[in-house]
Amino acid sequence: MIWRADTAAPSPRPSVLPWAVYPDWDAIYADNVGRIYRLMFSKVGNRPDAEDLTSQVFTAALGPLRPGAEIGQVRSYLTTTARTVLAEHWRRTLGHQVTEIDPDILDLAELPPGAGDDGDAGAQAQRILDALPERYRQILTLRFLRGYTVRQAATELGVSVANAKVLQLRALRAAARAETAQGVRDVEANIVGEGEAS
Amino acid sequence: MRRQAVDRYVDRLLGRRRPKSFAATEDELAMVRTAIDLAAAGPDAHGPSPAFVDRLRDQLREHEQTQEATPEPRPAWRTPPRRRFLAAGALTATGALVGAAADQLLQSRDQSPQAQPPDAPGELVPVTGTWQPVAQTSEVPEGAVVAFDLGAVTGFVRRTGGRLRAVSGNCTHQGCRLNLDTTRDKLACPCHGATFSLAGVNLTRPHQSGTPLPALPRVPVREQGGTVQIYAPAGDHSPPAA
Ligand code: FES
Repeated sequence: MIWRADTAAPSPRPSVLPWAVYPDWDAIYADNVGRIYRLMFSKVGNRPDAEDLTSQVFTAALGPLRPGAEIGQVRSYLTTTARTVLAEHWRRTLGHQVTEIDPDILDLAELPPGAGDDGDAGAQAQRILDALPERYRQILTLRFLRGYTVRQAATELGVSVANAKVLQLRALRAAARAETAQGVRDVEANIVGEGEAS
Repeated sequence: MRRQAVDRYVDRLLGRRRPKSFAATEDELAMVRTAIDLAAAGPDAHGPSPAFVDRLRDQLREHEQTQEATPEPRPAWRTPPRRRFLAAGALTATGALVGAAADQLLQSRDQSPQAQPPDAPGELVPVTGTWQPVAQTSEVPEGAVVAFDLGAVTGFVRRTGGRLRAVSGNCTHQGCRLNLDTTRDKLACPCHGATFSLAGVNLTRPHQSGTPLPALPRVPVREQGGTVQIYAPAGDHSPPAA
């Protein structure tokens, strides 16, 4: 029995079922390298580190992973490895677990279309930005989301480069405070209710 | 001074360079975390560069060749020579046809053409499916476990911590159909006595001996329009009877 890609799948992007098998290492790699990279990028925020950590994950998995393994198992193995590799990265660099991979995503990392919350990172960033005053939101949007240099951002906002730098730092600090406070509020939501501390 | 360190860290992050470590305070760690959250929605987040993908593939191939001589212990989860759930027939009989579809699939999943397997086009098994309802939302409240049977896919769906999870209902020993234990807190195999947690982790082994079995594969599940849906092979509703 064969299930073909063209058999009336309503979703625009057909997916391989997680219990199909990978025939060879190249298939394991091709199917997962983007996924692991994106996961790592979302946890370290820069390309060189994300590439490094992605390499470490695959190198570590090279021995244990064998063709013929089921897709779901390979993915959860890679994600588990990624979790360890990321923890070690933070231990080595800032000495604190700045970000971590949620054990809840250890299962499949990427489900078929419609299953997961696509654009998670975008939504999170938007939530952070929405909590900020206009000026702060502008500088962070230009710098982080649009990839503007400080100079370009300064021009866009009509301020000096020095001012743009100060603005960026303040905006980031305010965003970090709001995020931390939000985290605390989430935890206390049931008890505290509407308490606002701006 | 301190302020400069975190500033530099963020600058390098934004300059797409590797940030340098520093002794960060709690506040600074929070700023780094926020910067990462923001950068995660930025232009570099979408995927690896094709050059990196190629380079790492080459490194891994080299690595693999130097490693090949050393025999390794078999990890518990490595797929055992058991009955292939679903995929085996397609794998052997119709490689070429299926392989063509596989290329398509991989391409649609990853825009960079470099990410396709360059060789062995005839081997990958694409099994594509559709979302199929297995229960009403109301039938799977928090803590509930519900068995489903879609012909090609059987399993158990449950709601825990507000989220739906589903696992395959076939024992990873030799493929027997698992039953929900009378206590409804584990899955039991009638054939050789293996048991699994509801999350799919092997609890007891067949005949109480040997290495642990691989975990039960997770099955994609979602909730839509008041129904709980499982992602299963398209168009196969035939009963498993011969
Ligand atoms: S098939 Fe389940 S224990 Fe053997």
